Amino acid sequence: MKVDEDKCIACKRCFPYCPMGKIQTFKRHEKIHGRVYIEIDQDACTDCGMCLRADICPVQALYQPQEEWPREIRGILSNPLIEFKGSQVPGRGTEEMKTNDVKGTFKPGEVGVGIELGRPGVGAYFRDVELIAMAMMGANIGYQLAEENPVTHFMSDKTTGKLRDDVLGEKATSAIIEGKCKLERLPEALRALQEAAKRVESVFTVEVITKVTPKGEVPIKAVLEKMGIWYSVNTKNNIGIGLPSYDFYGTSK
Amino acid sequence: MTHSLHRRGDYECLKDDFVVLGCPATGVNKIGSAPKTQKYLSIAYKCGPINLGDMKTGNIHNTTMADILSRVSDGTIVQCTFDNRDKIVTLLKELKNDRPGISVIISGVTDVVQQCMHEAGLGYIHSLEYSLGTWGHTEMLPDFPILKTVTMCGHAMIASDLVRKMVRDVKRGRRTVKDCVKEMAECCTCGNYNLTRGERIFRDLLPLYTVHSLY
Ligand code: SF4
Ligand code: SF4
Repeated sequence: MKVDEDKCIACKRCFPYCPMGKIQTFKRHEKIHGRVYIEIDQDACTDCGMCLRADICPVQALYQPQEEWPREIRGILSNPLIEFKGSQVPGRGTEEMKTNDVKGTFKPGEVGVGIELGRPGVGAYFRDVELIAMAMMGANIGYQLAEENPVTHFMSDKTTGKLRDDVLGEKATSAIIEGKCKLERLPEALRALQEAAKRVESVFTVEVITKVTPKGEVPIKAVLEKMGIWYSVNTKNNIGIGLPSYDFYGTSK
Repeated sequence: MTHSLHRRGDYECLKDDFVVLGCPATGVNKIGSAPKTQKYLSIAYKCGPINLGDMKTGNIHNTTMADILSRVSDGTIVQCTFDNRDKIVTLLKELKNDRPGISVIISGVTDVVQQCMHEAGLGYIHSLEYSLGTWGHTEMLPDFPILKTVTMCGHAMIASDLVRKMVRDVKRGRRTVKDCVKEMAECCTCGNYNLTRGERIFRDLLPLYTVHSLY
C-alpha cells in the first residue's frame, strides 16, 4: 500500500485500521510548505488492503499499486479479496478438511498438520515460513505437502521445504504450510515444531486434522494428551453431508 | 484455510459462537455447485444467522443478502455465523432433510456441535480440526481480551489498534458500542465476526483499558 504524498494530510485516521500496527511514519513535504504526509513502511506492510477498504481516508490518498513478482505474493496471501489461482479456492490455503467427506483427503490413520505463520495480527516473513517448512520436511516423518497450497508453490525444493530465494524477504499477514502424515508420526511432527518455535521470529498457529471413527472416537486426542499439548475446546467440524460421499471404509464395494 | 478455527476464549465464552460453511469440493462436485451453494445459503438464512458472507463479495453488513446470493458461482464458499445452539439444531435438521449436496462445516465448541448433530439425527462428526494454539514469540500478540475479539476475523483484518481506538471512542462518547461492533463486522469481509459475542466481549474489555494511549 502506498500513500500519495501530495494528497495526504497526515490526519492519522487510517493508522488504527492497520493489522500490522504502527508502520506509518510522518514526513515533511519538500515542495508544499508546512505540509506533512505519512509514509507506509514498505517492508512491514503486507498489502492486506485493510486501510484502503476501511474507506476512512478523507482525501483518498491511499492506493494499492499493481505489484510485480515477488512482492505480489504479499497481497495474494494477505488480502482476503485476492484469490490464489493455483489452489482454485478463494483465500490463502486449501480446502483441507472442509471437503474431506467428499474427497477423502484425510483417511483413517492419517493426520493433517497445518502451520499458519503470522497469525493472529503479527505477520511473518517467508524466511520464517521456510524455517518451519524445512523443519517439517527435515523431521523425515513422511510429511506430504498439500500440492494446491500457495506456500508449496513457492518452494524451490519440495523435498526439503526450501523456498525460492526471491520470496524470503516478503511478508504476509498469514501464510499456511499444509500437509499430512501418518498418525503414528504426529508426535515427531509436533516435536519438530516445538524445536522450530524457539527459532522463528514470529508466531504460528498449529492445527491438526483427523477423520473421526464411525463410533465417534477422535484418534489424535490421545496423542495430544499424552504429549501434554494444549488443544482448544472449539474445533472445525465437517458434518459429513456432502455428496457424493467418499467411501472411507470400502463398505460400498 | 482455517480462518474460523483459531477463535480464542473458554467454553463459556465460545459456546454460543458458530461459523457454518458451505463448501463445494474441487474436482468432485464443484462444477455446477452454484445452485447447491445458493440452496445451502437460503436454508441457513432462514435459520437466523447474525452474520453471513462470502469473502469475495463481502458480508451482510457491507452489502445485501440478495447481492451475496446472486454472486454465488461454482466454487464460492459461503459462511454463516450463528449466536445460539438452537438455531444450529434447526439448521442441521433442515440440512438433513434437504441436503444441498456440498460439504458443510461447523466451527464451534466440539461437544456442543456434537450434541446439536445428535439432536438433529446426524450421528457423529465426520472429520475435525483442532487448534493447538499459538506458538513461537507469543509475547508479540495483543492481550488476551483483545485477542478474543481479533481472532473472530481469521484473516486478522480487525486490527488490535482498532479495538483500542474504539475503547477510547466509546469512553469519550464519540460512538456507541453497537457502532463499534458493526464496524468490526465490516472489517471481517467473510462474515465470520459474531456480533452478539463481539458485543459481549467488547463490553467486558471496556473497563480494562484507559483512554489516553494512542493516536
Ligand atoms: S495494506 Fe495492510 S499492512 Fe499495509 S498499511 Fe494498509 S492495513 Fe497496514
Ligand atoms: S487517512 Fe489518508 S490523509 Fe489521513 S493519514 Fe491516512 S493516508 Fe493520510
